[in-house]
Amino acid sequence: MTSYDVLRRSITLSDCWGYSLNSACATEPAALAAMALAMQELEQDARRPADWLRSLQQKDGSVGVSEQLPRPAWTTSLAMLAWWTLQRRFGGNHYDEAIARATEWALAEKGLAAPQQAHIGHNTTLVGWSWAEDTHSWLEPTAFFVTALRVCGLPDHPRTEEGLLLIADRVLESGGCNYGNTVVLGQELLPHVQPTGIAMLALAGTPFNRQGVDASLEYLLRSLQPDTSAISLCFGLMGLEAWGRKHPDADSWLDDRFTGEAAAPASCHQSALVLMAKFGFADWLIGQLAEVAEELAVEEPNEAAAR
Amino acid sequence: MASEDQPVNERPKDGFQPTRRAAIATGAALGVAGLAAGSMPKHRAGVFVAKNQSYDGPLAQTIEDGLRACGLHPNLLRGRRVLLKPNLVEPTKRIPHMTTHPAVVLATAEVFANWGAKVSVGEAPGHVRDTRMALEESGLHDALQRSPFRFADLNYEEAGYRANRARASKLQGLYFPASVMEADYVVSMPKMKTHHWVGLTCSMKNLYGVLPGIKYGWPKNVLHHNGIPETVVDINATVGRTLTVVDAIDCMEGDGPILGSKKHMGLVLVGDNLPAVDATAARIMGLSPEKVSYLKIAGRLGPIADEQIKQLGDDYRELVSPFEILDEPHLRGLRAVGERVS
Repeated sequence: MTSYDVLRRSITLSDCWGYSLNSACATEPAALAAMALAMQELEQDARRPADWLRSLQQKDGSVGVSEQLPRPAWTTSLAMLAWWTLQRRFGGNHYDEAIARATEWALAEKGLAAPQQAHIGHNTTLVGWSWAEDTHSWLEPTAFFVTALRVCGLPDHPRTEEGLLLIADRVLESGGCNYGNTVVLGQELLPHVQPTGIAMLALAGTPFNRQGVDASLEYLLRSLQPDTSAISLCFGLMGLEAWGRKHPDADSWLDDRFTGEAAAPASCHQSALVLMAKFGFADWLIGQLAEVAEELAVEEPNEAAAR
Repeated sequence: MASEDQPVNERPKDGFQPTRRAAIATGAALGVAGLAAGSMPKHRAGVFVAKNQSYDGPLAQTIEDGLRACGLHPNLLRGRRVLLKPNLVEPTKRIPHMTTHPAVVLATAEVFANWGAKVSVGEAPGHVRDTRMALEESGLHDALQRSPFRFADLNYEEAGYRANRARASKLQGLYFPASVMEADYVVSMPKMKTHHWVGLTCSMKNLYGVLPGIKYGWPKNVLHHNGIPETVVDINATVGRTLTVVDAIDCMEGDGPILGSKKHMGLVLVGDNLPAVDATAARIMGLSPEKVSYLKIAGRLGPIADEQIKQLGDDYRELVSPFEILDEPHLRGLRAVGERVS
């Protein structure tokens, strides 16, 4: 069974891009499906979820979490990543306008900061992105937006840089990340695989908190187990891959999950992540980040010369 | 800024004065639970306490005894959709006393299924976006695999909107997952624990976990920004008919609800009035329910005064064993003073 067959099976069983086989379409699974299919050069199939995401885009440029819920819209970041991935893989400027509008919304959207409090370990004054409007900045939405802005040509934007600082600040001293708190009332909180993997993806190639990054990569290497759930496993392995690290059992675990999804898919969400992890999305993404940086370096002198 | 780990807007508003419209709506909500809004219940709320319980003991019998003692019986439940909501806020195999034990969940499911109810289990973990991982770490995945009971991932289900029936916070309404909207009874199944911001987390606070993360975030920061005590009351007033079965066998004290120490109590609490059950839990833990912020404003949902609670089963007064709480200024006032301590 090909990777396309695996994802197609999970989609056709539910007839949509959902978090479970029987759930309604949602932005995150659709964005992941678009990226997974694009990685397999399945352009027409990848365009279906990508175009659906564009149909969901609001006038202000945001893309809500689902058709039913236009707010919150932290998933705008994932739509940006999906559209950018398709253009990078297949060329053209089909999604340029959608990306530009989403970027404008993302840059205007700010998680709440607060004065530093003694009993809270992380830097509460840094501004990133929140899950929902008018709430604090948290790790995963900030990581998704930072990654999207980096690839979409704004790696040096002040919002991107502050977002990277925030992610680096939310890494636990002993390694790993959770939803975004570090120390509360004097006690370090628990790390978890999924947010750690997502944070490591976002920080890849940057110089921020290398000690914390190293500790987090070690945390991932010792925490990933045969019974780690597929979604955490995939984010964990992609986080390692983004830093050139690989768990010795990664291939066999991903083969098992691929076979499992082929036999009995859990959801489009999970199938897409298994395909992205198995077929090197993180490695490709990091390579693209370097290319984007080179392209921007060439563009800037040319623009200066034109002026 | 706010989070589960930040005391934002915790200071309760003075009193609980819903508008006339809200009072009517609250009345509708409470009416189905057998309570009348605007006045205290005419009969005392029953709380069943069972001692000497263990995870490998006859839990189903204990829970059935408790439900019957509280006036519930098979005819009320037959054909009804019952959603069991355990506490899986941030499971890890390293800290099993953080989460509701699978044996208590399965025993409760068995009782309701035997009574002819359609039983499912659902949770929207508050700190973990990968619900499957939360299930695995808590041990509930394996337990449910061996059972006929379906699990509903409340974080990602389609959501329905209900007007806020209490309006303790400024939230106009709340989004509930389909499994909650469709349930005839939501059974809160907390672990009895200390909480490093509000002192106590039990059946009422556990219902934070019926709201979908996809709408409220991880953590459910929208609720924190609107006041933890206030939103606890709002959710409890709006969620529909509720019951509770409390896993108070291996509990958590100290830096709960995540990192505290295990405290063995060997208890199960059952009730159909959540404020009354939480007030009893607080007394068992050596805390004064009148000083717990969300209980202090929960008055119209149920009684917390000892004399208004009908104690069933074992006498809780013989079971009081003060829980360690953090030595923090916002927690120092929670201790019951002058209450009997065993």
